[in-house]
Amino acid sequence: MVLVLALGDLHIPHRAPDLPAKFKSMLVPGKIQHIICTGNLCIKEVHDYLKTLCPDLHITRGEYDEDARYPETKTITIGQFKLGLCHGHQVIPWGDLDSLAMLQRQLDVDILVTGHTHQFTAYKHEGGVVINPGSATGAHSSITYDVNPSFVLMDIDGLRVVVYVYELIDGEVKVDKIDFKKTTATTAH
Amino acid sequence: MMTGVAEDEEKWLAAGIAGLQQNAFYMHRAMDSNNLRDALKYSAQMLSELRTSKLSPHKYYELYMRAFDELRKLEIFFKEEARRGCSIVDLYELVQHAGNILPRLYLLCTVGSVYIKSKEAPAKDILKDLVEMCRGIQHPLRGLFLRSYLSQVSRDKLPDIGSEYEGDADTIMDAMEFVLQNFTEMNKLWVRMQHQGPAREKEKREKERSELRDLVGKNLHVLSQIEGVDLELYKETVLPRVLEQVVNCKDDIAQYYLMDCIIQVFPDEYHLQTLEILLGVFPQLQPSVDIKTVLSQLMERLSNYAAISAEALPEFLQVEAFSKLNNAIGKVIEAQADMPVFGAVTLYSSLLKFSLHVHPDRLDYADQVLGSCVKQLSGRGKIEDSKATKQIVALLSAPIEKYNNVVTALKLSNYPRVMEYLDNETNKVMATVVIQSVMKNNTHITTVDKVEALFELIKGLIKDLERTAYDELDEDDFKEEQNSVARLIQMLHNDDPEEMFKIICTVRKHILTGGPKRLPFTVPPLVFSSLKLVRQLQGQEENPFGDEAATTPKKIFQLLNQIIEALSNVPAPDLALRLYLQCAEAANDCELEPVAYEFFTQAYILYEEEISDSKAQITAIHLIIGTLQRMHVFGVENRDTLTHKTTGYSAKLLKKPDQCKAVYACSHLFWVDDQDNMKDGERALLCLKRALRIANAAQQMSNVTRGSAGSVTLFVEILNKYLYFFEKGNPQITVAAIQSLIELITTEMQSDTTTPDSTADAFFASTLRYIQFQKQKGGAVGEKYGPIKV
Amino acid sequence: MNFLIGAFKPPCNVSIIFADGRTRKQVPLKKDNGQIIMVPLFQSQESIIGEVVIEPLQGKKLEHTGVKIELLGQIELYFDRGNFYDFTSLVRELDVPGELYERKTYRFEFSTVEMPYESYNGVNVRLRYILKVTIGRNIVSNIAECQDFVVRNYTPLPSINNSIKMEVGIEDCLHIEFEYSKNKYHLKDVIIGKIYFLLVRIKIKTMELEIRRRESTGSGPNTYVETETLAKYELMDGAPVRGESIPVRLFLSPYELTPTYRNINNKFSVKYYLNLVLVDEEDRRYFKQQEITVYRLLETP
Repeated sequence: MVLVLALGDLHIPHRAPDLPAKFKSMLVPGKIQHIICTGNLCIKEVHDYLKTLCPDLHITRGEYDEDARYPETKTITIGQFKLGLCHGHQVIPWGDLDSLAMLQRQLDVDILVTGHTHQFTAYKHEGGVVINPGSATGAHSSITYDVNPSFVLMDIDGLRVVVYVYELIDGEVKVDKIDFKKTTATTAH
Repeated sequence: MMTGVAEDEEKWLAAGIAGLQQNAFYMHRAMDSNNLRDALKYSAQMLSELRTSKLSPHKYYELYMRAFDELRKLEIFFKEEARRGCSIVDLYELVQHAGNILPRLYLLCTVGSVYIKSKEAPAKDILKDLVEMCRGIQHPLRGLFLRSYLSQVSRDKLPDIGSEYEGDADTIMDAMEFVLQNFTEMNKLWVRMQHQGPAREKEKREKERSELRDLVGKNLHVLSQIEGVDLELYKETVLPRVLEQVVNCKDDIAQYYLMDCIIQVFPDEYHLQTLEILLGVFPQLQPSVDIKTVLSQLMERLSNYAAISAEALPEFLQVEAFSKLNNAIGKVIEAQADMPVFGAVTLYSSLLKFSLHVHPDRLDYADQVLGSCVKQLSGRGKIEDSKATKQIVALLSAPIEKYNNVVTALKLSNYPRVMEYLDNETNKVMATVVIQSVMKNNTHITTVDKVEALFELIKGLIKDLERTAYDELDEDDFKEEQNSVARLIQMLHNDDPEEMFKIICTVRKHILTGGPKRLPFTVPPLVFSSLKLVRQLQGQEENPFGDEAATTPKKIFQLLNQIIEALSNVPAPDLALRLYLQCAEAANDCELEPVAYEFFTQAYILYEEEISDSKAQITAIHLIIGTLQRMHVFGVENRDTLTHKTTGYSAKLLKKPDQCKAVYACSHLFWVDDQDNMKDGERALLCLKRALRIANAAQQMSNVTRGSAGSVTLFVEILNKYLYFFEKGNPQITVAAIQSLIELITTEMQSDTTTPDSTADAFFASTLRYIQFQKQKGGAVGEKYGPIKV
Repeated sequence: MNFLIGAFKPPCNVSIIFADGRTRKQVPLKKDNGQIIMVPLFQSQESIIGEVVIEPLQGKKLEHTGVKIELLGQIELYFDRGNFYDFTSLVRELDVPGELYERKTYRFEFSTVEMPYESYNGVNVRLRYILKVTIGRNIVSNIAECQDFVVRNYTPLPSINNSIKMEVGIEDCLHIEFEYSKNKYHLKDVIIGKIYFLLVRIKIKTMELEIRRRESTGSGPNTYVETETLAKYELMDGAPVRGESIPVRLFLSPYELTPTYRNINNKFSVKYYLNLVLVDEEDRRYFKQQEITVYRLLETP
């Protein structure tokens, strides 16, 4: 059993002062094995904070990230799953599922995690999964109105992945669970 | 020859101990055979060892303790003698026959103790006699130890109320008088040490004195333990007497120690009720006494007292503790002309803490303290002393910590005035403290006034203060500071759009003073704050009867334009471009076409004139395409202009693959799935074809430069775009076109010249798998995909 | 010539027995040979009554020209060796000339004897009282037997007893004021006092109170003065500062004092002084001497 934290679009300090305190208290060091972050942190302090939660940190570049060294896309293999990571502003139209599907095929991944829209989504798509963890700070977005802070925790266990979505609605954390099973073994050759 | 002295001292101590033990041996023998005369003789000889002048206090104490142990045995012997019929009165006389005074007085105290226990005479008389006779020892060290012995043997024999030695009506006075007198004499001896011996040994002497101070202080402890000393007696007698001694001794070490002692040993309740007397003494102390520490200690104790016992609070008010302390501090500072700034600030810092703890509701007190502090600081210029600075930070932090709310601190009019005196660095530190408090406590600053006040406090971070040298600044520190300001801007919020707009204007006013280094940090948060307000207003119907001055999105966009322009002048074109695009999208949402167009124009100017880095261009073009794709507000003409330019930019990117990607992305500008008037299949296809040409060119270029064909990835990408539009129902995308593209890719991949690329292979494979998947779906989709062969 | 002693052994034993010998208080007396003996104690105006027993040796006849007993008060000045000045001399004839064959007892009585001076054993002078029995004989030397006794005279509490108070000093160096509560002390008295330091510019190490006895004998150019320090009593240890006051409490009982004797029979005087001594760090001594009168207090039981 592996826990993967997926989050992104924090936009600190441009659009939000910090992660919500409720989230901070949930996210404690030592529980999470991997963090995948779609980008737009935007500053080093946030990077350092994530690093304290878990040293295995994967980040792709958002358009507001001060650190230009983050890659545009990244793939990671965790257990039986191949994960793809991309911020998403490069995929036009933004947030368009069919366009994201192309990226998923291009990266040849089971799970594609992207951001940019600040809207949490999780779709089963062509035997894979496309996830957008939303904005962890509930940052203002031109694309999405009324953004609630959210992040995703993936529990990867064999061929199964359970996606937990944590969403802060009116000061309360709501959790949703989505179950995915991979039908075929990994596509890796 | 320091070692020589130490060795000699060891030798002398050893000799002293040997002499003491030898005589103690004979004394024991005499006691065992009930030989009083010999017991006295040898005990006197034993005690003669304490007459030495050669030992330091530390070593002397060692010797004293051994004598002390022997004297306990002697005391028991005296008790037995008395039981055997020896008159205690005679015994009291007998020991006084000893010719040497020091042994004589030790013996006298020892017999005196037995005498009191026998109750043959009132304890007070015996104590009075003992404390008086001890005057014979004027040697400081020997006198201190003798009187300490007296204090020790008499502690449990004071004629205290409720004690078995209680005397007549004045018994408490007697007990008190005895201790006070012994205290006074001991203090005199202790102080006198300072003036004896050569000047060059001053330091050593002070060290030795500090080793002895608890002998003196013990008396105050004893006083505090006397049952009968109630507040009344303490106020009328004990405290004035002790203070008299403190003041009159004119010795800084003693004054410091004793004042501290008084504060520590007597109950807080007493301090509160005698505040005037106690405080009255401080200005009379020597200028070198570290008053700030003592007085701070007192204030801290009183604060804690108030915190623990709520029932004492009315007392604090009744005795006007605050104003008394405030006055006292003023007087102390006046009296101690040489007191460094640091001292004065420490005092006010303690007073402020006191005021905050004891009178949390009296913000005026806190402001008063700050005001007094300003008065002290005025005319001194910026404070250079790091200790003083530290204290000012403590002073300024106190209200913030106490109230957990900067808004409260903002009400303190003297607060920014104190900050004036901080050096630039510390000013920033303090500003950071303020910001951190806001963040930590999630304090929302909701009015323009407060925002103004807040910016006054943090101005050290907002703009360059005088004398700031940039080269001295640490880049990381600067970033951290400015990021904290950015965070703070998020906290300035009011749900009322009018007030919020005013807040935005105020913030703008301040951050525009920050200079080019700061704007990249401060502009984005303000832009997004403004965009939030736009969003809030956007849903509302415009009030036709609303007055002209009402806040409208248009007004805000005007403001935004100026702010972003300032940023682009920094220059920070990448950031400015992004913000222009954000604004354009917001204007789109507000259905303000000209505004949106203006923002786009600004973004394009930046793109053309300022963004030269190829990688930055790629990101910028994606953002432009992405944003433009979402715009619905533009009329045909405007839209054409913009899309035309965009495709133009796309085709002019530095590298072919990037051109290709941008160009096929442009196809989405002509075919927007959810907008019926935006389905220009032809032009979308044109884009794809153009992309295909670029991909071909890239392939050929690769052949020329590397002698092998490049990756087929671009073709697969374009194939995917074809499939996308095909699926969306673009009539221009035909099965044949898709089929030929698949064949093209297959051929390319099988070509010998093509560089093997597993990623591309996988991409293609999964694309084909997708087609297969769609074919098998059945229904309309399956039908559509049917003719495609893979 | 020891061998002659046996040859000239007196032919009788003579003993003097006091009538109240069993009950009268005995006090120690140092004899010429240094031996301490216990002798009865009298005071002036007492009657001295007793018996003299003469017991001839076995079978011997004692021929005598008369038997007498004398009560003598003598002053002996050592520098004037061998000369006794009898200031008191009383005689009682016990027997007329005759012969004694056997033990005979004579009663004697000196009633209400004036004995104005106390027994004293000084450095240069001795004042003593003796009873002397003389058996007069012809041709051979008289037989004499002496019995010492001690006289002490008591004084009631003096009606006037002023304190001794004095300010002394060395200019700009040391000023002290001392005060002893009385100027007359009985032998078991306590000296109570206080020393005030008014100015201290020298580094004092210690302060002592001495009791000194000054015995002067003779007169005119032949005056001999002997001073003894009977007591050295440390009053203070260390250096006081201006304004300090140091208590004095000295018990006289441990010291062998006599009353003050003034011009006893124009032969000698014994006077007492309190000597306050201050010693500085260089062991220089500063002192001030004050006479006190010592008297023997009439004990009221």
